[in-house]
Amino acid sequence: MSFVVFLGIHSLPGNTFVNERVRGASLALLLHEYGLDRPVLVQYWDFISHAVQGNFGVSIVNRGEPITPIVLRELSVSAELGGAALLLTIGMGVTFGVIAALRQNTWVDYSLTTFAIIGYSVPSFVIASLGVLIFGVWLFDVTGGAFYYPLTWDGTYGTVVELTVPAVALGLFTSSLVARITRASMLDVIHQDYVRTARAKGVKNRVVVVRHALRNALIPVTSVLGPLIISIITGSVVIENIFGIPGLGKEFINSILSHDYNVTVAVFTMYALLVGVANLAVDLAYTVIDPRIRY
Amino acid sequence: MAVVAAPRSDQEFASSTLVREQASLWRDGLRRLRRNRLALISAVYLILLALVAIVALFWTPYPTSAIGVAQIYSGPSGAHLLGADELGRDLLSRLMAGAQISLSVGLLSAAIVLGIGVVVGLTAGYFRGWVDGVISTVINIFYGIPALLVALLMVTVLGRSFTNVVIAISATVWMDVARLVRGQTLSLREREYVEAARASGARSGKILFGHILPNALGPIIVAVTFVIPSAILFEAFLSYLGVGIPPPTPTWGAIASEGVQALRLSPHILLFPSIALSLTLLAFNFLGDGLRDAFDPRQKR
Repeated sequence: MSFVVFLGIHSLPGNTFVNERVRGASLALLLHEYGLDRPVLVQYWDFISHAVQGNFGVSIVNRGEPITPIVLRELSVSAELGGAALLLTIGMGVTFGVIAALRQNTWVDYSLTTFAIIGYSVPSFVIASLGVLIFGVWLFDVTGGAFYYPLTWDGTYGTVVELTVPAVALGLFTSSLVARITRASMLDVIHQDYVRTARAKGVKNRVVVVRHALRNALIPVTSVLGPLIISIITGSVVIENIFGIPGLGKEFINSILSHDYNVTVAVFTMYALLVGVANLAVDLAYTVIDPRIRY
Repeated sequence: MAVVAAPRSDQEFASSTLVREQASLWRDGLRRLRRNRLALISAVYLILLALVAIVALFWTPYPTSAIGVAQIYSGPSGAHLLGADELGRDLLSRLMAGAQISLSVGLLSAAIVLGIGVVVGLTAGYFRGWVDGVISTVINIFYGIPALLVALLMVTVLGRSFTNVVIAISATVWMDVARLVRGQTLSLREREYVEAARASGARSGKILFGHILPNALGPIIVAVTFVIPSAILFEAFLSYLGVGIPPPTPTWGAIASEGVQALRLSPHILLFPSIALSLTLLAFNFLGDGLRDAFDPRQKR
């Protein structure tokens, strides 16, 4: 996969230095210095053999800055945002789904379901922009624009306040999805015999809901966790660009717009790795939720 | 008025897109759809939106790319119902043209996805064996990659244009329909009537398109309805990030991203395209839900 991306990016018209008005001999010198005058296959071999050792080479736009530390730092920023969004997704989604299912066909159910459909339909960049508008412009005196990352990032991580608005914007779509699925599977489960048996035994309602029903209702939710994580990763590209969060997504767009091939390929490789790890983690989560599955 | 007008539009919808031979099934479905008020309202909204998009082809209040027809950053007023943007272009005209872009991206992508999905899914489901193995693996690989990022790269590599955006979107969202068609084919091919057709010497093509496909059509239509909003959303995302259809084409995503630049000064530039986009996506999702309940009762969630 990295090969296709590499080829594609390198076949782009123009080159990195097109914006810098370098001509003739100095251009040839620059191209040579970064090895860009070699055949593409040689360049790819060079890239992949270093990448395996965790070295993504150097940035072309910010002359010679090694990429690996940058990407790792940005990964930690993105992971923080994505983790917060994932927690929100599971926490809010499951809670709302369970509440809606327990209060089926009441106004609680209807309002939560409607809320979920809205959250599912309104694009995350709209929610994010509205977040900026409400909390950053209209309520500026209250928040002081607190969730904006400073232009020059000083290496400290976002506080809870700084994280909340971006994480909500990022996690609303996925939590709506989780709420919908949880509600449906919860409704399936609570009408089954073993739940009635548990109630008949006189088990407390809270215990029935959490231990008997919810545990089984969560199995369908786990099966969509993989796609959910991918959609959070995808969404983070947009959210980071809106809130100016210095993570992988912002770098991805920047590197594409500035033709910084090496960085684009490095960031994409990181994303591919992330997706792989996430899928593995979801597979492991299955065994925790559903002990019938063994590997 | 609206109550009278709506069923007629459904009927037109039925006669133009659905297969007639199974009138009872479709009539049954339409009856169920008509009882679903949210889906009906959505359908009416979408028809209105389509009308606006068609009108925008021939007429907009002001030329969509004409600079300085209004005071720059001016809010909604009598002459410019939705105000103007940072170059003094009339926002209503641009939103109307944007509706046309969004709808054509959505419908075109859905058509392409339908084509790919039907061919790929039928092939995998009918011939099974190693063909199915290869196709299923490819589908799973596509599921594993972040679609938006790949679409983003594809548009960058292919060049920013309407066609390439549609290609990139179709190439990254086709799997749902393909997998559905495959599953349907796998189960339908074992039915007695398919066996009977095969026994009477029908060719594979005849069985696939004459017997299997028409019977799988309900779920397929539902799945394709859900492709339209996701394609529209994708296009808006790409335009919003500045890698979609290039300016000055007025897409909703691009207008919204211009609005974010001027958030403090004139939030209406962000608000109006966002509202339009959200309503459209909402309508497609409601309609899709309604269609699923109406035509695909087994798949109730």
